[in-house]
Parts: sequence; C-alpha cells; structure tokens
Amino acid sequence: MSKLVLRNVSRTFGSFSAVEDFNLALEEGELVSLLGPSGCGKTTTLRMIAGFMAPTAGTIELDGEVISSPGSSLPPEKRQMSMIFQSYAIWPNMTVAENVGFGLTVRKLKGDEVRSRVDEILEVVQLGALRDRYPAELSGGQQQRVALARSIVVKPSVLLLDEPLSNLDANLREEMRFEIRRLHDEFRITTVYVTHDQAEAMVTSDRIAVMNRGRVEQVDAPYALYGRPKTRFVAGFIGRTNFIEGKANGDEVHFGGFSVSRQSLHSEGALPQDVLVSIRPQSIHMFKQDPGAGSGRRCVQASVQRRAYVGEYWDYHVTLPGTAQPLRVTARPQEVFQVNEPVWIEIDTTQLTVIA
Amino acid sequence: MAAAPSAFGQWWRNLDKSAWVWVLAIVVLVLLVVNPLLRLLIVSFQQPDTGAYTLANYAAAYGRSRYVDALVNSLILGVSAASLCLVFGLPLAWAVSRTDMPGKNLVWISILGTFIIPPYLGAVGWILLAGPNAGWLNRLVVELTGMEKGPFNIYSMTGLVLVTACYSFPYVFVFTKSALDLVSSEMEDAANILGSGQLRTTLSITLPLVLPAILAAYILVFLEAIALFGSPALLALPGRFHVVTTQLWQFFEYPPKVGVAAAYSMPLLCITVFLFWLQRRVTRRKGYVSLTGKGGERRPIALGGWKWAMLGYCLAVCTLSFFMPMVVTCQAAFAKAWGRGFSLDNLTLDNLYFTLFENTLTRNATLNTFTYAGSAALIAIALALCVAYIVNRQLVGRHAGDLLSFLTMAPFVIPGIVLAIGFYAAYTRPPLALYGSAWILILAFATRFLPIAYANSNAAIRSINPELEDAVRILGGTRFTAIRRVVAPLLNRSLAGAFILVFIPGTRELSSAIFLSSINTQVLSVLLFDKSDEGNFEMLAAIGLIMVFITVVFILIGFRLMGRDFMLRRTAA
Amino acid sequence: MNRYANGCCVALLGAALSLAAACAYAQMPAWEKELYEAAKKEKQFTVYSAHYNTEGMANLCAAFDKKYPGVKCNFVRTTAQVAFQRLQQDLQANTAVASVFSSTDVSHYPDLKKRGLLLQYRPNNLGKMVDSLKQYNDAENFYWVTSAALMLITYNNALVAEKDAPKNWPDLLDPRWKGKVSIGHPAFSGYVGTWVVLMRKLYGWQYFDKLEKNQPQIGRSVNDTVTMLNAKERWVAAGPEGTTLQSRDKGNPLSVVYPTDGSLLMVSPSSVQKNAPAPNAGKLFIEFLLDKEAAEVQVRDHAMSVIKGIKPAPGAKPVEEIKLVRPTEEEITKGIPEVKEQFRNTFGV
Repeated sequence: MSKLVLRNVSRTFGSFSAVEDFNLALEEGELVSLLGPSGCGKTTTLRMIAGFMAPTAGTIELDGEVISSPGSSLPPEKRQMSMIFQSYAIWPNMTVAENVGFGLTVRKLKGDEVRSRVDEILEVVQLGALRDRYPAELSGGQQQRVALARSIVVKPSVLLLDEPLSNLDANLREEMRFEIRRLHDEFRITTVYVTHDQAEAMVTSDRIAVMNRGRVEQVDAPYALYGRPKTRFVAGFIGRTNFIEGKANGDEVHFGGFSVSRQSLHSEGALPQDVLVSIRPQSIHMFKQDPGAGSGRRCVQASVQRRAYVGEYWDYHVTLPGTAQPLRVTARPQEVFQVNEPVWIEIDTTQLTVIA
Repeated sequence: MAAAPSAFGQWWRNLDKSAWVWVLAIVVLVLLVVNPLLRLLIVSFQQPDTGAYTLANYAAAYGRSRYVDALVNSLILGVSAASLCLVFGLPLAWAVSRTDMPGKNLVWISILGTFIIPPYLGAVGWILLAGPNAGWLNRLVVELTGMEKGPFNIYSMTGLVLVTACYSFPYVFVFTKSALDLVSSEMEDAANILGSGQLRTTLSITLPLVLPAILAAYILVFLEAIALFGSPALLALPGRFHVVTTQLWQFFEYPPKVGVAAAYSMPLLCITVFLFWLQRRVTRRKGYVSLTGKGGERRPIALGGWKWAMLGYCLAVCTLSFFMPMVVTCQAAFAKAWGRGFSLDNLTLDNLYFTLFENTLTRNATLNTFTYAGSAALIAIALALCVAYIVNRQLVGRHAGDLLSFLTMAPFVIPGIVLAIGFYAAYTRPPLALYGSAWILILAFATRFLPIAYANSNAAIRSINPELEDAVRILGGTRFTAIRRVVAPLLNRSLAGAFILVFIPGTRELSSAIFLSSINTQVLSVLLFDKSDEGNFEMLAAIGLIMVFITVVFILIGFRLMGRDFMLRRTAA
Repeated sequence: MNRYANGCCVALLGAALSLAAACAYAQMPAWEKELYEAAKKEKQFTVYSAHYNTEGMANLCAAFDKKYPGVKCNFVRTTAQVAFQRLQQDLQANTAVASVFSSTDVSHYPDLKKRGLLLQYRPNNLGKMVDSLKQYNDAENFYWVTSAALMLITYNNALVAEKDAPKNWPDLLDPRWKGKVSIGHPAFSGYVGTWVVLMRKLYGWQYFDKLEKNQPQIGRSVNDTVTMLNAKERWVAAGPEGTTLQSRDKGNPLSVVYPTDGSLLMVSPSSVQKNAPAPNAGKLFIEFLLDKEAAEVQVRDHAMSVIKGIKPAPGAKPVEEIKLVRPTEEEITKGIPEVKEQFRNTFGV
C-alpha cells in the first residue's frame, strides 16, 4: 500500500485553477520532488498535503485514510507530518534546543527524553555545540540545519520541504543538497520536496514529478526524466535540448537532412505522422570533415551560426540546410570551430526521444 | 483499514476549534461598532415613547435658531482653530525639520508636553490665565498699564479657538514634519541652482511637496475641533454660546431626548466621514507617494541671525500651549486659593491629598480611571489582534476581511460624543442593559480607541511570517499553541506599546464618558468636569495634575519600549 | 483643619469616640436604637444632595458618622438638576445608588411622588421642626424640609465698598455692574431656578432682558458665584448666604446684602427613595437632619436651622429682622420649567 496518495486533486482560487487533477502515489520511505517553474502549483500541492489548504476536488490519503477532501480536511496538527519552510520558520524567541524539541514537547514526551533526542539529532546535523544559541546568532546554513533537525526529530509520517535551499548561497546550496539526501538515506522518511531547481531535484530525489500550470507532466526517476522526457515542457525544463520536427514515411522517419528508421525511435504507442523529437546538445557531435561512409557514422553537413565559450564547454548554434531552427551543440573546449565554418554533425540517434 | 468514522465525527475531528474565537471576535466587533451606529440611526427616526417612525426628532433638532446657531458656531470653531493650528504648527515643523535653529530638543519636549495635556485641562489653565477680570494675564496688564479692565476674555469664541488650537497643533506639527523629513535637500538645491532664493525655494518647491500632508493635518484638526467637548463646555457656556457638542449634551438633560440628540448628531457624523474620506484621497495621491521615495541627502538650512527669531517664535507658541497653562495649573493645584497668587502661606497639598485619599468619590474615580482604561486597552487590543489575525491570515474571504478591517477602523471617524450617544441608544435597555455598569464605559472606551489598537496590531501581525505559525501546526501544535508560544512572545513588546497608546487616551477620555458614567462609575475626567460647576479650580487643577502624572509615567514606560517618538508617531498617523 | 494631623490622631481619638458613642447610644430612644441597628446592617448609604456646597455636605456627613458610628455616610454633591438626572439614570439602569435625595428644586418631588419612587415614612423628629416650615412638608409624609437657607446679594468687599453695594435686586441691573455680575443657571441650580421665578414674579421678564445687557457671568451652581467673587472675576452676585459666609469665615473678603425687596427663602426637602439600597440608614439620616447635631452644623455653616431651639451663629442677623420672600409652591413647580426655557432664549446657553 502506498504511504501517501493524491487522487485527482484540484485546487481553484476563484476562476484561477492552481492545481488540476493531480495524481501521485508515494511509497513508504520514498523521496519525491515536485519540480516546476514558479506558479506551477507545486507549493499549493504541498500545502494541501500539509493540511493548510483543502482541495476543491479530489482526495489525499495517508496510510489509506482520507485526510483531505473538499468538504473537510484534517487540520495540519493532526497529520503527524513535518515541514521545512522556505524561510526556515525558526522561532526567534526560542533557542536551538527549544526549537528542535518543540514538536516532542507538543507530543507530551518527558523532559529527559526530549533532551536526549534533541541532543542526538543535533549531533546528526552537527549543531551540538550551538544548542543554547538563539536563531539570530546563527548563519543561514545553520538555521537550515535547525529546521531539518526540528522536522526530523519528531519522526514524521511524511516530511515536506518547501524550497528549503532557495535562500542559501550557491556553494552552501550544493552542500545542503547532499546533506538532505544523506539524512533521507539515514532516516528513510517519506518525503515530498518542492523545488524549482532541477539540479536540486535530481540530486535529492528518488522520483521527480514535473509540474506545469497546475498539471503533472511526468513522474519519473531523474535519469529517465532527463533521458526520456515525455513532453515538450519536460524536455525543455529539464536541461537544455533541441527539438526537431520530422515526418513518418513508411519505415523511415525523415528529418531535415537525415532520416532514421521507425524502430530506432523510442516511442510509447504508435508513431504519428508528424513526429517531434528531442535531442540533447551533448548527443550531437561535430567534425571538421565528413568522416565518410566507411567510418559507420552518418553525418550531415551544417554550418556554425553562433558560438559561445563558457569555459567548461563550447556552446555552438549550427544550422542544417533547409531548416530555419538552429541546433545547439555542446562540444569539448578543444573542439574549436569558427563562425560560418562548414562542419559535419553526427546525431546520436539512440538518444532521440519522441515527444508526445 | 479502520472503519470509516461517521460524517459528524469526521467533521468534528477536522474542525479547526479556533474558529469559535474568530466568530466571537466578529460578533463582538458587530456589537461594539455596528450596533451602536445602527441604533443611533434608528433612534433618530423614532418617537421616544411609542417607537413609531417619525421625522419629529429632526424637526425638533433643527427647528430652533439656537440649535442651528450651535452648528454654525462649530463650523466657525473648526475652521478658525484649524487655521490657527497651521499658524502655530507649520513654522515649528519647518524650523525643527529643516533649519539649524538651536534648542530643537526643548521645542520637541514642549510639543510632546502639549500633546500630553488633556485639552480640557488646558482650558482650565487658560481660564486661570485669561479669565476676563481675574486671569493672571489680565491682572498683569492692569498692573502694568493701569487700565481699568484687562483685554483678554477666554470665555469667548476667540478664546475657545485659541485653546482648541493650542492642543491640536501638534498634529499639524507631526504631519508636516514627517513630510518635510522626506524632502531631500537635492530638490531644493535643484531650484537654488536655477537661481531661486531660499525663501522662494521654500515657498515654491518645499511647500507644495508637503502640501498634501498639511491638508491632511488641516482636516484632522478641523475634525478634532468640532468633536471636542471639554473645552467648549468649560469656555463656551460661560461665554454664553453653544457648539454642537455642548448642545448635544444639553439634549441629555432630564428628560434625555436621545432621539433629538441622535438626529442632531447626524451632521457631525456626516461631515466627519466625508472629510476623512477626503483626507484619505488627498494622502493617497501620487505626488505624495513619490515624496516617500528616496530620501537623498538632507542638510539643515542656515538661518543666520534669524534662527534666534525662529526659536523665539517656537518658544512663544509653546509658552501659549504648554508653559503658561502648566505653571498656573500647578499653582492652582497646590494653592489654598489660586487668586491669592504665589506665596508660601498659600501653598498646600490638601487639594491633592483630598482628591487621592480623602474623598471617596475622587478616590474611586482615580481607581475607576485606571481600571476602565486598562480593561478597555486590553479588550481593544485583544479584539484588534483577533481581527488583524483574521484578516492577515485570510481566515475569511478577502471581501469579508476588507469589511472587518473597515469596521475596526470605523470608530476613528466617529466623534466620541456621537459614539457615546450610539452606545446610550443601544445599551440602555434590555437585552443588553449595560448602562450604569462599568462595562458600558469600558466597552465605549475600547471601541473609541479600537483603531489605534488595530493599526498597531496589524503592523505587528504583518511583521510575523505566517510560516512561523505553520511550523508550529505541522509539528502538532494547534493554532492556539502557535499564538501562545510564538505569536504572543514575538509581539509582546509591540503589544505593550499598543496597550500604552490605548491606555493613555483612555485615562483622559471625557466626551464619551460624560454620557455613560454614573455615580458609581465615575472617572477622573468626568469628575473634573463635574467639579467645574462649583468653580473650584484648585480641585480641577489637582485632578488634572494627577491625570498628567499618570500619563507621563506611562509615556516613560513607552519610551523604554519603543523609543521617544512613539506617541506622536503612532497616535497621529 | 490640618488633615494629616487629623489622620494621625484617628487612632488615639478612636477609643475616646467609641466611648462617647456608647454613652450616646445608651441615651437613645427605642425607635432610634432600632433604626440604628437596622442601619448598621446596611453599613453605608449615599445621599445625592444639592442642598449645600461640598464642604457643608462633608461637615454634615462627618457629624452623622460621629453620631452613628458603623454607618458610613457617602455623598454626591452636584446641582439640583444633575442630581435629579443621576437619579433618573440610576433608575433606568436599574442600579440604585442614592438612598436619600436632597434637591433644591422643589418641583422634583411631586414628580417623584407621583411616579411612586419615594418611601413613605413619618420621622419621629418631625415634631422638632420650626412650625413655619411645616407647611412645606409633604402632607402624606413622602418628603420633608431638611434645609432652609437664604439667597441674596453678595459682593467682594475688597472691590466694592459697603456704601456702593447693591441694596435691592434691581440694583444689579445698574450699568456700573456691567461685566461684574455673577449668577448661576436655572437649568442646573434649584436656588437659581427659584430665584429666577421670584424675579419674574416681582419685576417681569424685563428684569432678565436688562440683566443680559450687564453681561453676567453664568455659572451652573449657585455656589459658583462665591468662587467668582473670591477670584475677583466678578464683583457682585446673586448668591447663597451659607456658602458665601462660610467662605468669609475663612478670611475671604466677602459680604452679603439682605435686599430691601426681600431675601429669597429657600426651603429644600429631602426624601428617602423607594429603591434605596439602604432604606433604614436613609431614614436614620432624615431623623439626623431633623435633630440638633445636624442643625448645629448647618447653623455653623450659615444655613438656617429647620428645628426649634437652636441658637443662631454668633453675629448672624436675626431672622426677624430679615425681609423674606418666597413664591408659592405652585408658582415654583410650574414656573421653573418655563423660566429655564426663557432663560436660555435670553442668555443663549
């Protein structure tokens, strides 16, 4: 049985529909990210799971019991969940230890037990020395750790994270991603993680639900999501990509300048007449000369329209004859081509993904 | 899976129990604000005995030239006093904000002092100063010039205008000064570079920039002046003319003509509501907002030799409003007979001793004043906090929220005397016969100062990130736990400040108390007024001093909590 | 009197007082003992009074407290009209405060009686009353005269020489008193109301039209005039004899004139309220007012005694030598509401 199930959940504000027909099931101990641009409904979804908001349609179930439905919603304090907020929401009037121990005190644990569990979790998040400090005396990263400790210590049924790293600077953010994943691996708490940062989602999550305009576009493991995006939005949102239009004709699918066999294209269901595929910039390779038929490579002639050197790689825009839309290609720093130089490009057809 | 709970069980389990508190708060708000005003309106159309609808009250209220004269007098008073406030307040604000005038602190303290003195106590001081024959000033003039009669007569429209302006001009000062504080010197420099002189710059650049603030202040003091009860009662009646508020009070003489009073209070209410609306519009205009943008660098304008003249003017105004009345009030409070002047054998503590300890009535009144103002402040803040919470946490829809905050701010535009008549009309008969009990005073005070409490509570609640409460709830605490453990501790300082800001006007409120107090629920302000019928100014001065003392103590506490500007800033804005 | 010394000595005096009280108690007649015992159970009572100024009322209450230890006399002194208004408000709020009501506006009593708000009681001390005053008591024993005093012309003798002082009421209209006359307001004060009725009766309303030209200072209470004279705010006044002479005793430069056309005799009743919180104490207070201790206090404060056999204060003008005038009760009862309105029309307040 799934731990947390969202069934056809919708939420409207007046005529505006924030979340539409959302379906998701989390297994016990799973970490699922809700990823999407701002305003896509991911925070609304999270707040419905938390019980701060009731859905206008659909139900949310925890351990098989309905906790949210349009008519009535179990208040947040009765859900045995915990949450980490964008602002951390560390109570400035309480010390670190009081903050962390709060949930345990509310659960009416004895003083000794509260103390020992607080100390234990503070060691885990490396804040043992700061237990009697007030939040104002802590750095942003330390506050973040207090928030983590505070939510984990109560052993929640579900842990909710609302863009927890967005207020940290870049380096700290990278460190905390791994910290969150480490804590998840250690405690195995069923977790819903809301973020707009795809790298964050990929590092931390077992699965990612990509949301757009209140709808789920795709739910998959990070690798599958990147490699096999199912919608144009997902392909575009997760990393950079090129879209190429083609036409199916018999056993072949023709794109401008090259064609591939129908079987080699990954597609769920029957291939339509007009085909749209996605190909990542690093799945296209550039050559000065045609390696020739004998090399077993199938190359197409193109020309460099624009280029940019960003240190770790070259970012080229190349145009194929007969197509207006340039393709973006990522090349290693030593692969230098001049603008307007004719080049040969090879497309790794195994990486072509058909977009629905 | 467990058996599905019954529908009711689920509803009950899922119900946010705190909802009852919010509903209660809304009910209380309706009882305090909506009901009295509604009753006021209804009563004004009702025949007192039968309850039948009639226009007779309006006919009675406006059918006599004496009554209409009082309306005209109020308008004259309002316009003249507000204009005089500008004469007093503008130069002071400019001098303190923009120039290198010396002694700014002294001026500032005197203005705060003026603000602390209840206007009716100022009126008592001015009676001692400018009573037509016995006033200190008149006697001085007679002494110096040998004239047969002194030139001043405080019992006149001129006198009333002067006293009213003396105790309202701090509003003009505060409004104008805060606007001037935002005008950067660069704007003036720009005009100077184009060849404009200092005076011309001030008049053509600075003045127009702060004009909306001045206009807003003008409206405010106009409304203060026409809603004032104490000073007119002490000055206009012996001067043998009426204003609206004293006339309203007369309708309450036995047998009280509540319906007529209600009908008669309508113009006051309408003018007030209209002008406040106008004031809001003025201050919302774009030009004014742009003023609050970048401050830029500010340099004081060098006045040269004129700075001493400026200081002289400032001190002259403060002398009129603060120093002279306070000196004579203190003299009277500690004198056996104030007319005998300053001499050791005329000194006594009897007046204060008698007021505080000996006379049951005054002793009880002192106690009542504290209790009522304190309870009113607590109620006002609790209610304001609830409403601010409901509105800010969007516990009700947006429109309902707007309505709630409108209702909470509404008493701001209701003159105290009109509110009192509304309360009288609403709560003198069953089912809620509160008249004669302390509650009617406490609730009326609470309602009257609810807007102050709300403005402060709202700012306080806004300063708290809702996620702090969400964090409590998701960790298993109820909304009340969140409020108790997080919101309240974080707000205690600003709420203590709000408490003082409501408590202080509560201790000196006269205009609503005069209608609602009874012998057992006497407060100092009403007592002071009652005592004026025997002309015992020593006693009046003593009661007044006690009130000033209370206020000063609480203001000092306020300073410690919130810094020295808090009172001028928060009550005026 | 020095209040601190007084406070300090209370402890010492306490013993002596209780001894004296015990002595007095032994001499009380049975009805008085009975009433006193019942009053003691009520512990305290409140009087709404317009009869005296605050000081005079305080003196009376002090004398009562001394005579009847254990029953505390509280008082609220205001003008007649305000006292009456308070009484109405208490009724409306259903919170009775006053046990005894002493107004100077006699028109209040028939109204209260008609509405059944007064307690019927026949004071045992009624027999001690001066015979000429008995006509002003209520025939059915609902209210009784407890205060008799004069209203006359008063002046500040530091400002006005005796020979220049007004001799009769129309003298106040003389232009030389322009801006120098002080009076009270008939809508507040029963004294002033009765006085206005009298002036109207004697000289017609023109009296006030002329007075208006002299720009009198209009206070509320009749006692206001005393303060005005003391403060030298005004020079002459239509004022009360009692308060004025009381103030003179303290060294203030005040004098009174018994007008040749008659001093106004003010006869003011008191009643016990039907809804009195302390009816027995109220009755006891009425008995007290009709007994010699109260009369002595009143005489000392320059009022007249309402009971027989009390020596006038030293230096007081014997009553026989004073020309007294008083409108009839009907004239007063009917006249006061009329003159209030007329007065307002003439003086604007």
